[in-house]
Amino acid sequence: MSLAVTAEQEDLRAAVGRFLDSRAPLSRTRELMERPVPHDPETWRALAVELGVQGIGVPEEHGGSGIDVQALAHVFEETGRVLLPGPLLATLGLAVPLLLASGDSAAQARYLPGIAAGETVATVGWLAPGAAWDTVGGAATAVPRPRSGWALDGRVALVLDGLAADLCLVVADTPAGPSVFAVDTTGPGVDRHRVRALDPTRGLAEFVLDGAPGSRVGEEGAGSALLAAARDQACVLLAAEMVGAAQACLDMAVAYARQREQFGRPIGSFQAIKHKCAEVLVEIEGARSCARYAAWACGASPEEVPTVAALAKAAAAEAFFRAAADGLQIHGGIGFTWEHDAHLFLKRAKACQVLFGDTRAFRLRLADRLGI
Amino acid sequence: MTTHQTAYRALPPTAAAVDPGPEAEDFRHEFRAWLSEHAPPELRGVGWPAPPGSPHTEALRDWGKVLCDAGYMCVSWPREYGGRGLSPVEVAIMNEEFDRAGVPRVTRGRAETTVGPAVIAHGTEEQKAYFLPRIISGEHVYCQGFSEPGAGSDLAGLRTSGVVEGDELVITGQKVWTSGYYESTMMFCLVRTDPDAPKHAGISYVLLPVAENGPGTGVEFRPIRQLTGRSGFAETFLDGARVPLFNVIGGLHQGWRVTVTTLGHERGNRATIAHVAYARDFWALVEEVRARGLAGDPAVREKLAWAWTQIETMRFSGLHLLAALAAGQDPTTRAENGSVTKIRWSEYARGFGELALDLLGPEALTAGGAGEDGLGYWQEQFLSSRSGTIWGGTAEVQRNIIAERVLGLPKESRGMGR
Ligand SMILES: Cc1cc2nc3c(=O)[nH]c(=O)nc-3n(C[C@H](O)[C@H](O)[C@H](O)COP(=O)(O)OP(=O)(O)OC[C@H]3O[C@@H](n4cnc5c(N)ncnc54)[C@H](O)[C@@H]3O)c2cc1C
Repeated sequence: MSLAVTAEQEDLRAAVGRFLDSRAPLSRTRELMERPVPHDPETWRALAVELGVQGIGVPEEHGGSGIDVQALAHVFEETGRVLLPGPLLATLGLAVPLLLASGDSAAQARYLPGIAAGETVATVGWLAPGAAWDTVGGAATAVPRPRSGWALDGRVALVLDGLAADLCLVVADTPAGPSVFAVDTTGPGVDRHRVRALDPTRGLAEFVLDGAPGSRVGEEGAGSALLAAARDQACVLLAAEMVGAAQACLDMAVAYARQREQFGRPIGSFQAIKHKCAEVLVEIEGARSCARYAAWACGASPEEVPTVAALAKAAAAEAFFRAAADGLQIHGGIGFTWEHDAHLFLKRAKACQVLFGDTRAFRLRLADRLGI
Repeated sequence: MTTHQTAYRALPPTAAAVDPGPEAEDFRHEFRAWLSEHAPPELRGVGWPAPPGSPHTEALRDWGKVLCDAGYMCVSWPREYGGRGLSPVEVAIMNEEFDRAGVPRVTRGRAETTVGPAVIAHGTEEQKAYFLPRIISGEHVYCQGFSEPGAGSDLAGLRTSGVVEGDELVITGQKVWTSGYYESTMMFCLVRTDPDAPKHAGISYVLLPVAENGPGTGVEFRPIRQLTGRSGFAETFLDGARVPLFNVIGGLHQGWRVTVTTLGHERGNRATIAHVAYARDFWALVEEVRARGLAGDPAVREKLAWAWTQIETMRFSGLHLLAALAAGQDPTTRAENGSVTKIRWSEYARGFGELALDLLGPEALTAGGAGEDGLGYWQEQFLSSRSGTIWGGTAEVQRNIIAERVLGLPKESRGMGR
């Protein structure tokens, strides 16, 4: 399998692009972000049924079409373009890779078919309120229940698309260490509420667990390792999403710069504007090379994933933020309005930069992983 | 200090990401076998091109001859013109194998990447038969005579004149920043042959012999000392230099077209190999940092991770390009083009040079190395890295190109650059 973009990937990308343009354009994102749960279940199901998107992250024996992160990354570049609200990152970036890494075939058989079919939304929660990104453990505890299963107590913060989720994989402490538990979000003992977010286009929730029933996923004590594997894939897909969103910012800025006139000529003929656009393009292309390589590595060069995932996340976050910030600047006053879309990208960009750790943290992680 | 020769991490080979196909893999094995037999041990770890006055000059020349005789020179040229007809993917594989064996790939530099392709694309069969073998053999070593005191970024503003007299062209004017003049026997230059034509229309592309130079010859180099202390380039005074019209490539007044269509040839090469030398320097700097006990400092680690990210970006970008080519696709469907890669590597090199000196601490202030003026390796890196954003189209000009040709932004008003 090579790095080259295949005809099937091009087709998938074009199909997703058409789907989003007609069913979930940026104007739809604006509608959804005003709702308590920025998620459209109909779009979610259609993505699975009509395009098989969720299935691309799921092995065939569990109802998917076989994992192809490279293809998924193309999907994420497209969904990033319209800042698609909804649990794609939570489900395909975090939950599915965690389930797969767990090697727990019972849990996989139970949850993956529903995910592939677009019937289940899954997410992962591991952070205690106020905890640093890298902390694993301390958010919840799990104790065995008398007859079967476990009971979870605690407070889990920053659960991506937590209100949209049917299933939450919670990392909770046991005597053997942090372990993963599947919790039915509609079950007893689960109280979840929306957390108002800097980026209104991605849902965040906090879960309060009070004796919530959970079934263990994977080995007891495997929580850290599973989370690490999941987060690497989440970073790869997030990087792809950011590249798509950054490209949308650049496209918007360039279109505006060609049309808006001041001093008797298009502002895009001023070098200060031109060079900003060119610099953004250089950054985006670099980030795209990193993100696509990292996605390829997930399937073809797994030993590289820990380094290239960290690197791709940081590179894409830098490019996206710059594209959003410079894009806004190029729009002048109108860019500072609620009505214009520039702020949606700016907010998503900053939120993405901070999500899972800021650029500095990722650079340090990269240094660790390189053995420097 | 020989830090630049320190072993660095092996990078995963092209094969996995590019899927070069069985033929290219056959070529890899054939070439690997050949190299293992012929690679000169005394050149292990030696870089190419060698700086002026390098003790390896002789050995490199011999190695070049061995490569020539075996058909490993100008390998991307078609076979009928003495090349080997290698695809960019095969060239990348070849570079990888040179790197793996630890010996330099001696090339014919600009003659190979720029002049040869121009002659192949625009020359007559007689011109090809005359000029191409001489490039391959190394008899013709070219310097570039494009820039003039009044024509830098605005290259088409050049004024050096070429006047036709019989079957000769008589050239008068001044070129500047002529790199590598000291080892050149030829200069490929642009001269104005029709002063009345519009700016871009009256220029010719001429291959001018410069082996004989000095007062009275019509060609005179006056070395210019660069900021490194070395005289890497010169002013070139042309005073009635005579050259047969045979040496005009692509026809009189057609020089701009010849130049523009052959500028991109270097690209595949550079885009897929640049990261290797940067990676070597990177790990050498990591060693320096460790030796100074700085490797635990988060600020230092963060900067090193930044540098590694840039190097990897270059590697990935090159691999994407090769993978697309190997899959028979047109890589220009991506906005990533020669200007983008040039900005990336040249700005990275500057940043890395600055970083290296920051990390050396007090040592960065003093000279005690083997270089010109006693400068050390990292100091020379720092200084020479300032040129990448200037030669071959400045970073600003590259941004103009990206903005106008890739993004379609409107041109500046008339009279403002290219
Ligand atoms: C190490 C080195 C080796 C070289 N070797 C050779 C060689 O072998 N042969 C040869 O012919 N030339 C050579 N050059 C010359 C090189 O190509 C020129 O220096 C380059 O094209 C810039 O021209 P200039 O120096 O006249 O600068 P100028 O064009 O005068 O530029 C000065 C500054 O103005 C900026 N500027 C100019 N025009 C614009 C514009 N339209 N928009 C925005 N900014 C602009 C530039 O970016 C730069 O920052 C070499 C240069 C260096 C540094």
